[in-house]
Amino acid sequence: MNCDDARILLHGHLDGELDVVRDLEVERHLEGCPNCAREFATLRAMRTRLRDETFRFEAPAELKEKIRRALPQAPPRADGYASRRRGLVPRAIQFAIPLAIGAMLALFIAPGALRPNQNDLVAREVVASHVRSMMSSHLMDVASTDQHTVKPWFNGKLDFSPPVTDFAKDGFPLVGGRLDYIDDRPVAALVYQHGKHVINVFMWPSSSTTTSAERIQPEQGYNVEQLMVAGMNCWVVSDLNQPELKVFAELIRAHG
Amino acid sequence: MPDSSKDADFDRIFLPHMDAAYNLARWLVRDDHDAQDVVQDAYLRALRFAGGFRGGDPRAWILAIVRNTAFTWLKRNRGSNSPAEFDESMHHGGIVDAGLEADAVRSADAAMIREALDELSEEFREVIVMRDIEGLSYKEIADAADLPIGTVMSRLARARNKLALSIKGRVTREST
Repeated sequence: MNCDDARILLHGHLDGELDVVRDLEVERHLEGCPNCAREFATLRAMRTRLRDETFRFEAPAELKEKIRRALPQAPPRADGYASRRRGLVPRAIQFAIPLAIGAMLALFIAPGALRPNQNDLVAREVVASHVRSMMSSHLMDVASTDQHTVKPWFNGKLDFSPPVTDFAKDGFPLVGGRLDYIDDRPVAALVYQHGKHVINVFMWPSSSTTTSAERIQPEQGYNVEQLMVAGMNCWVVSDLNQPELKVFAELIRAHG
Repeated sequence: MPDSSKDADFDRIFLPHMDAAYNLARWLVRDDHDAQDVVQDAYLRALRFAGGFRGGDPRAWILAIVRNTAFTWLKRNRGSNSPAEFDESMHHGGIVDAGLEADAVRSADAAMIREALDELSEEFREVIVMRDIEGLSYKEIADAADLPIGTVMSRLARARNKLALSIKGRVTREST
């Protein structure tokens, strides 16, 4: 592990968010690298300071009371605060206030603010899955450059058979496949390589026959292409640059 | 309108997180009165959208609404960047500083740490508040701050490195 990687992973190590393998790698790196060890000591000292109660603001009692009063009346409760609320504001108004404010807020808040559109959600999921596959050393369930090994591997694991083609002669060798879970269903993930870049291709059957007209925005430095191949919804994710990824996506489309 | 048993559920599920909600709002808008307004708005919005809560972590859910409300408020009142316009790459670099010392961080006044945190951009401040002060997991931060989970750690890394540098700068200035 080099220092650039370690400087990010130190944080996952500090927060107990790494898988066991990564965690050990970071620990080993810290043993041999005084610079990173010093940075880690600083981070740990800073976290100790920040955990002190002095940095946590507590909600003022008046705010708690205000919010409880503004919420619709709940049935009386054993702990007594509901009975405290009763009688402060006439019941009809208790219902009217949040409704009125809600209606006002609805004018201010874009409808999409709380619910991103489906495509964005899927884009986010495939990128997160791509990142996870790289981080957790769970890139492949079946490692093979042979499309005739990878394709049958999916049999019995999925209720569809994804098209699998090796594009080695075009500079995009197939390196394996795995099962993944996107958009609330099991999907096929094919792993390709281009130079040092790893490309994840996610496929699952789609009822719709067209792709969304929207261009998928890059997510956190990863490029994403969406296309339809042989009735499959197909998402391509990589840190590869966008024009090259587009070329790869076209290969898939042509062979689908 | 939700029936009264749902309202009781809402109370039971979300009222316990009012301190967490206020803490995040207070750090984001940096003013008691404004933070109270934000939390109150957020709770009323939460009530409206409670049907969209499908189980899971209620704290992350309410914090997501609090931070959206806070960012909307900041944009309207202070012309601050919305999170969508936040360009992470502009904040890259400057991580490596061999002079970061744990001792400086240990000896800093609470006021210095508070100032240093206040000076970070909101996007950096919120991940530190959620993780280090509020104790959320990366998954909860991803949900609350609407970030891909793969981004949480790298953003935390940049945020903490900036904060450590800033604290150390303050300690050094103080002692000269």
